[in-house]
Amino acid sequence: MKGYLGKVLKVDLTTGEIADETIPDSVYENVLSGIGLGAYYLYNNIPAGADPLGPDNILGLTSGMLVGSGSLVTGRWMAVCKSPLTGGWGDANCGGDFAPAIKACGYDAIFFKGISSKPVFLHVDDGGAELRDASHLWGTDAIETEDILRKTCRVKLVPKVITIGPAGEKKSLISGIVNDGGRIAARSGVGAVMGSKLLKAVVLAGKQRTKIHDPAGMKAYSKEVGAKFKQASAPGFIKGSAFPVLGWVLSKVKSVSATDGMMGVMMNKKYGTIAVNTMGLPNGDSPVKNWGGSVKDFPLRKYKKLNPDRILDRKIKSYSCYSCTIACGDTCDISDLGDGKIEHTHKPEYENCCSLGTNLLINDLDAIFLMSESLNRAGMDSISAGTTLAYAFECFENGIITEEDTGGLQLRWGDADAATRLLEMMIAREGIGDLLADGVRVAAQKIGKNSEAYAIHCGGQEPGMHDPKLDPMLGVHFSADPTPGRHTIGAGNYYNMISLWQEVSWAPKVTKYPKSQEYIPSDEEALKSVALACYKMLNDAAGGCFFALIAGLEHWNLFRMFNDTTGWGLSADEYMEIGKRIQTLRQMFGVKHGIEPKEAIMTGRVMGEPPLESGNLKGITLPIQEMVSLHWKHFGWDENTGVPGQESVAELKERALVH
Amino acid sequence: MRVKIYASGYCNFEHIDDDGFMTLPEGASVNDVLKRLGIPLLLRRFRFAAVNYNQAKPGTVLKDGDVVSLLSAMSGG
Repeated sequence: MKGYLGKVLKVDLTTGEIADETIPDSVYENVLSGIGLGAYYLYNNIPAGADPLGPDNILGLTSGMLVGSGSLVTGRWMAVCKSPLTGGWGDANCGGDFAPAIKACGYDAIFFKGISSKPVFLHVDDGGAELRDASHLWGTDAIETEDILRKTCRVKLVPKVITIGPAGEKKSLISGIVNDGGRIAARSGVGAVMGSKLLKAVVLAGKQRTKIHDPAGMKAYSKEVGAKFKQASAPGFIKGSAFPVLGWVLSKVKSVSATDGMMGVMMNKKYGTIAVNTMGLPNGDSPVKNWGGSVKDFPLRKYKKLNPDRILDRKIKSYSCYSCTIACGDTCDISDLGDGKIEHTHKPEYENCCSLGTNLLINDLDAIFLMSESLNRAGMDSISAGTTLAYAFECFENGIITEEDTGGLQLRWGDADAATRLLEMMIAREGIGDLLADGVRVAAQKIGKNSEAYAIHCGGQEPGMHDPKLDPMLGVHFSADPTPGRHTIGAGNYYNMISLWQEVSWAPKVTKYPKSQEYIPSDEEALKSVALACYKMLNDAAGGCFFALIAGLEHWNLFRMFNDTTGWGLSADEYMEIGKRIQTLRQMFGVKHGIEPKEAIMTGRVMGEPPLESGNLKGITLPIQEMVSLHWKHFGWDENTGVPGQESVAELKERALVH
Repeated sequence: MRVKIYASGYCNFEHIDDDGFMTLPEGASVNDVLKRLGIPLLLRRFRFAAVNYNQAKPGTVLKDGDVVSLLSAMSGG
């Protein structure tokens, strides 16, 4: 057992029973840990048709195979469940310091089923696990809850805590799970599942260490990786004001080449994700006006206020997750904003700035800071919440929602006060906010009146804030991933940075090619998207961070780190088979629960139906059906339905991964 | 000598082989690489190239096996 503990903790919240379960070595050998272990456990233990908010659903909190191994940038934990938002496979991950805490308690994962009769939290330390009363915490926001539990549960160690906020308690289908003072595993509605179980928090204070096969080898490699990441720094002339120019350059590029992922590390070290705030307008990456507009609707004179340097002006200190040397996060001072009661917040991510800003034509950074902090405290997903606000604004513009519905609130594009107030109503499930708190699909079903056209989602989940008409492979992953709508699975841009072809025999090699090639469905492009999906599964099984992943194999090599950890000596191709197996298991989970994968293929304005009338992406319609079909074909799944083929299923059965 | 090049879509790839390497004479500098990549003289003075992941001046002399990376505008985040 190298890199894993071979054991999970099972908690039945209905009966209060808590027990260990041994997981066979063969499971780890076939699907690793993290998301792979989660997929194995959930597929075999959640009955078909289970109510996602009912007792039969299982919420899993997993660590990863490389967490605690001495590797760098491998500190992400993952929540897995049947998603109440999509009805299929649900997962969401987050950094901070919770992932190593799971292993320090002697487990690779913790799985909850049942529903408690009163609010509880789980406490685990080296003395054992127990459920404790959390009635006094119910209704408390996530950051405050974490503070209270860190103080009241401290013995020697400061415990590691995850918690839901009011959004999860109210079972908002777009709620997540929060840790580290407002970081959030936001997607898939994982917070609603935790809330449905009346599980307010999990508090961990173990001290166990994880053994690995070759600590000296790992130490040497981490030293090498750390030195590279340390010296990577963005050129001095790169300032926030330069990003619109860089975005414009990107919009003019007719050819694409292999790029050095270390450039991404440089940017992330300086800015984090907000470098995209203003770069994404001229090239079309950032959706505008509920995905229906372009830079013409939100020109430079407006969007320049989202300049990332203006955000860094509020920076107090840098923030890094466990084992990370990139440190893309910052803590920012907001003591002069709002009522002044909140002194600091996490730097808003690009996704927040776009979903609460650009996509609503809002350029009031102060409002974005405050809305982000509200979402962090409530435990609500900023991508989904912002997209839902945009849906409501467009409904209002078209008379589908009126002032009578909103309680007198006028939802006008660019109105930060209206967005802030409506967000408060969503978090509190007050008035029309109750209807919007479950995301756009549910809202459109309830409101009707042809508002479905304004409801931007893939299989029920609102997509990340990147337009696939700029990078079509994003559209494939939005549509074809078992957790649809995710922007962190893959894109052509990422493929060219990661350089998988250096070690994976079947991954198409890139030197330079015409950008137009990405818009034509082909086996080559499909193989790239499959390769990325497989590698991303390995990353999520490791507990790795996406920002290290896109540094590329030359700088952060998962295959090497897996072998140092496990001693298995597998080739890159063999690991990629594991990644493929995990992806198939996730897809089969959805199928088992009645998901028809083809229904999640994204259509409408995101894919260019109708095409945009202005901006860099005007006139583009993606042949997304054909692209997704080829992607499925190269996974060995039915190319028309996306259902894993008999051969794939037989392999999983043979390996005892599905019972 | 052979130097690994990470260029960007706006560059001229004529001098880069299929494995992403450029062959250069001994003593060649970053400026020589930028010139071969078709970067205009005016832009070469900006330090948007890195050698072995350290920011480099145009006059930085290269050696066999060095990695030269150019800043690329990328989407994502």
